[in-house]
Parts: sequence; C-alpha cells; structure tokens
Amino acid sequence: MSFWENSKTLLPVYKNMAQQTLAETVNIMLTPQFYILKKVTLPVQYAFQAKKVAASMFDGLLEHPQNSDYLVYKENDDWVFIAYDLKEISHFLSTKGISADKVGKIFFAQQALSSFSTPVRLGSKDALVSMDDTVVLVPQSALEDNSKTVLMDEGFTPKNGISLHGAFNSFISQKQALGIAALFTLFAFAFFAEGWRYSQSSQNTKAEITALLEEYPTLQSAYTRQSIAAKYRNIDKNERKKRDTVKTLAGMIFKGVKVDTFKMNEKGFAVRFKCTDAKVAKHLRELAKKEGFPSVKTLTGNIVSIEEKL
Amino acid sequence: MMFKRYQNELIVAFSVLLLILALAYRSAAFSSSAESISMGKQEVSEFKELLVFKKRWLDKKTSKRVAKLEKLVPASKVTWKKKGKKLTARYKDLTPKELNKLITSILNMAVQIQVLEISNHNGSYTVEFKCKW
Repeated sequence: MSFWENSKTLLPVYKNMAQQTLAETVNIMLTPQFYILKKVTLPVQYAFQAKKVAASMFDGLLEHPQNSDYLVYKENDDWVFIAYDLKEISHFLSTKGISADKVGKIFFAQQALSSFSTPVRLGSKDALVSMDDTVVLVPQSALEDNSKTVLMDEGFTPKNGISLHGAFNSFISQKQALGIAALFTLFAFAFFAEGWRYSQSSQNTKAEITALLEEYPTLQSAYTRQSIAAKYRNIDKNERKKRDTVKTLAGMIFKGVKVDTFKMNEKGFAVRFKCTDAKVAKHLRELAKKEGFPSVKTLTGNIVSIEEKL
Repeated sequence: MMFKRYQNELIVAFSVLLLILALAYRSAAFSSSAESISMGKQEVSEFKELLVFKKRWLDKKTSKRVAKLEKLVPASKVTWKKKGKKLTARYKDLTPKELNKLITSILNMAVQIQVLEISNHNGSYTVEFKCKW
C-alpha cells in the first residue's frame, strides 16, 4: 500500500446498522438507502458541465431539493448522478454514535460498483449486490447462495469521496467559508502587491543615488555636496538677479531715453537715464515704479535716477 | 480532530490572518519606504541641482568664451587685463550697436560680474567690466 493510498477503515452505513463506538477516524460507505441514483447518457464532455444539470435530473424525486448536493462522475458511456442530503446523513451518523470528527471521507456504494461482483453482507439481514450495473440493497434471504458473500473491507474504497465539512458544528457552510476566504485572500494579495510596489520604488531611488555616486566619486560626501551646492546656489541666485536687472532696465529704454551712466557691483546698482523732456521723464519714472524700482527719482535736467540694492 | 470539526471556521480564520499579515506588510513597507523615498528623491534632486551648478559655474570652456570678449570690438577700443580666472577690461568709444553686442555677450556668459559700469560721452560709450569665474 502506498503512502498516499487511503488506509482508513471503511465502514458501511445502512439503516439497520448497530450503534458504533469509534476510537479512530473511519471512511464511510453509504448504501443506496442514503442516496438517489440516476444514470443518463449526456452529450457533455466534462463533469462540471454535467453537474450544472444535476438538479434538473432529480426534478420531483427529492423531498428537500434545496438541501441536496450532487456527485457526478462518468461510468463507461453514461453519466452517474447521485443526489444526497448531507444534513440527513450527518444526523443519521450521529444517531449511530459516529461524530463528524470521526468521519474521514464519505463514499457511495455505487462508486465501488466493480467491487460488488460478489454480494457483500451488511449485518445479519442485509446485503449489497450489483444488479444491471447498479448497486442495490437486498435482504440476505433473497440471495441464491448465502455462503458466497464477503464483508466490506478497505479494498472497496473508491478514489474520490465527499467530506462532511464539519456539518455538525460549523457556524458557516463550506461554500460561505471558501467565498469569504477567497475574498480575503484576494485583498491580501492586493495588499502584498502594494507593499512590494512601495519597497520597489524605494529601491529605485536608492539605485539612482548609487548610480550618481558611482559616476561622481568626488561627491560621495553629503557634507561636500551640501557645501558646494550652497556656494553655487548663492552665486546662481545673485548672478541671475544682476542679469534680470540689466534686462529690465534695458526694457525701459524707449524713444527719448538714453542711458547716461550705469554702475553695478556685487551690492547694488545705480543708473541715470537722460530724457528729452519732462513728459518722457515722467513716463519713465512711472514705468520704473511699475517694474519694482521704488527709489526712482527725477533730477534736474530731465535726468531719471534709480539706485537699488541687489 | 478539532481541525475537521471547525475546518470552515479555520479556513476563514486563516484567510483573515493572511489579510492581517498583508495589511501589516503593506503598512510597514509604506511607512519605511515613504520616508526613504522622500529623502532619496530630495537627495537625487539636490545632487542633480549640484551637477547643473557645476556644469554652469565650473565650466572649463568659460575661459575661452571670456577671451572672445576682447575680439568683440576693434582692438584699439579695448584695454584687456586677464589674470588667472579674473578679468578687468575697459572699452571706450563704443557705438550703441557695439555696446549692445558687448552687454548681451557678458550677460550670456557664466561669470560672476563684479563691476559693470557704462557711461555715455556725447553719444559714445565707455564700459568698465570686472568679472571672475
């Protein structure tokens, strides 16, 4: 027996079964008393397609269709539909002393059809036999040769079964649990992705700094960089101011205005414009005020003077 | 067998745990990287600003450009004194056109203007110019 094979005891479950006292988890084999079977030839390829029409297969046959679940699988050319009520099964198991935590997998006798070549005894009265490719429950008295019977063992265990999903004690169904878990997991992945993006952008900035430092090794020291930047920021600011001032003053020259003298040094500037008449001088003075030179004044001889600090 | 009994609740609990971990990771990544990104961006920006300053104010071609100021007007009008990275120049008898050309060239040059004096004498201009770079 391989490690992966299901090695749990297979317990047949039927209505007349005796009360059970279980020490270990067992697998359950349900007799036809707990399910309704239908075999249909359908033009579908996959089980999920067949499962979509499962409910309609049992129209009018089920007492509580809203409580029913369906197992669908292919058997030769036919699709086998098994309808079962998990709550009812759970309830029955509990009445026989089989608690949900002692149940491994649940199988249906029909799934082990090939194993029923010989009738299987269930207790002292019933037996499971295969008739027309369907596993049915019959009284042992109906068997032709009562001595040719076997007992169910682990060899009957089919490959796939269903679970109780904690049907006894769960506050939420498995569907709800999976739905909520899927939603939360989706959000979790979104948050992980967002966090990863944040860390990456931080890495990108670090990589950019490293690349700059490698390209300019003389500027490795932050102190050196700050000191150089402060020095040239100041120079840049002052020189821009000087050039802007000269450009502004040049823009104030119009017909009738000539530069008489202009002096500029590190601290400030002084300019004298010679105007042709008082009207021009007045206009120039207004223009100078508008340009932000409040020190403007008119001197004798229609000279307009401006003296400002830089 | 408690796991089987409460497996649905455990599935939800596990997903909630995953969500909490993801939130914590995002929050930690955000707070640590927000600060480092902001500091890093500032550092990069300052570095780039410094490189711009260096390119403008420590340009090795500035000396050649300054030298062109001597040839801008006829040699007879220029008194030229250049020592290292300092220049003292005096221009006289400049026409308004020559004056404009000279001033435009000076303003477009990355030098520190120490003195710039212009005076008008009967329609011709005299310029005193001192700079360093």
